[in-house]
Amino acid sequence: MFIKNILLIISLILTGITSAKEIRGIELPSGEEVEIRVFPAKGNILIIGFACDNGKSKHEEATSESLAEDGIEVWMPDMLGTYMLPKSRSSYNEIPNEDLTHIIYEAISTNKEVYIVASGPDTQLLLKTAAHWKKEYPGYKDLKGAILLFPRLNDGAPEPGVEPKYVESVGSTTIPLMVLEGGRTPNRWGLNHLSAKLASGGSRVISKIVPDIRGYFFNRADPNKTEDIVTSQLSGLIKVSLFYLQESSK
Amino acid sequence: MKKIFLLLLLSLSLQANSAHLKPYSGSIKNPTISLKDLKGETHTLAQYQGKVVLVQFWATYCPPCVKEMPSMNNMQDKLAKAGVPFKILAIDMAETKAEVEAFVKRIKPEFTILMDETGSSIGQWNVFAAPSNFIINKQGQIAYTLFGGVEWDSQEIIDKITELSKQ
Repeated sequence: MFIKNILLIISLILTGITSAKEIRGIELPSGEEVEIRVFPAKGNILIIGFACDNGKSKHEEATSESLAEDGIEVWMPDMLGTYMLPKSRSSYNEIPNEDLTHIIYEAISTNKEVYIVASGPDTQLLLKTAAHWKKEYPGYKDLKGAILLFPRLNDGAPEPGVEPKYVESVGSTTIPLMVLEGGRTPNRWGLNHLSAKLASGGSRVISKIVPDIRGYFFNRADPNKTEDIVTSQLSGLIKVSLFYLQESSK
Repeated sequence: MKKIFLLLLLSLSLQANSAHLKPYSGSIKNPTISLKDLKGETHTLAQYQGKVVLVQFWATYCPPCVKEMPSMNNMQDKLAKAGVPFKILAIDMAETKAEVEAFVKRIKPEFTILMDETGSSIGQWNVFAAPSNFIINKQGQIAYTLFGGVEWDSQEIIDKITELSKQ
């Protein structure tokens, strides 16, 4: 019993040390208040992670903590939860553009270099945000870049033998983009095509394949060895992506 | 009343699962293949002119691809028994021979598996997802396409392929 209590106290202390998360509310132009999980850090880079998961993603939180420990501040706004929207593609269109760009405004007002990150279909929201930021705040500093992890941007089901069609936000921004795709997913074969379409808006696009991983590997119940490693090192993957984006801006 | 409702529900759910071979409207005019099977024998699409061919792009990591393989075995059996000239060429999307051999041992597909370890045919056929299916007519042109997993031994598909074999 005594040992059990000690272990409990130690685990509580450790939890307190590793979880530097704050919850910050920002009032949006629509009148809603968005709840943002903030992982503060003293460095000059701030990442906004559009994790549309109603706060459920444990790996994204661990990744954010790890980035914050390395001096990179992370904000994770709960975009779907704010409007009580379900996790579906159509929900992204329900989120007012002014609200999205207001979050970017708040982030850029910190005077840090701001990057945005999203995965899977959430990358649609990321591209829409980047496009509208430039339109609505033309005189302001721009976003430094965006990281698209395993993007799913097809408009409808793919048709064999026909070039894919993408959602409207593809090719609508000029900020530098880093695209990562899994080596063991059919989407890797469309990576060059998608990159070209993303670049058609004026963005510099860097795309890389992460070998031996499947789509949504970080949420799989049967991860292989590589997927386990990459999941635990997602922060490393993001830091490498930041490096590429910074190099491409020089 | 309850029975009618159940029948309606059943018919709707069957429709939702039924195959939809779509007439091909893309730009590939003269599709070609020249790939080796697991024994090292080269297969070309041209050598199967005169037969209806199902060309499928698949991968071992693609769950719908794995799920539909038994129905592909059944389809092949049914069409052979009916005397329909038909061939399946299932092209693995750039995995290693060892991976595919282990898979074949486990799942036991009874049709021809081709290896495209460099992914050369994938780009040529505009394939961006798996499973991507092409039904080739007896003249070697793409007649229909279908994306996603399906029950290949359904009467609807058997009828369509039988009809195509008569043209």
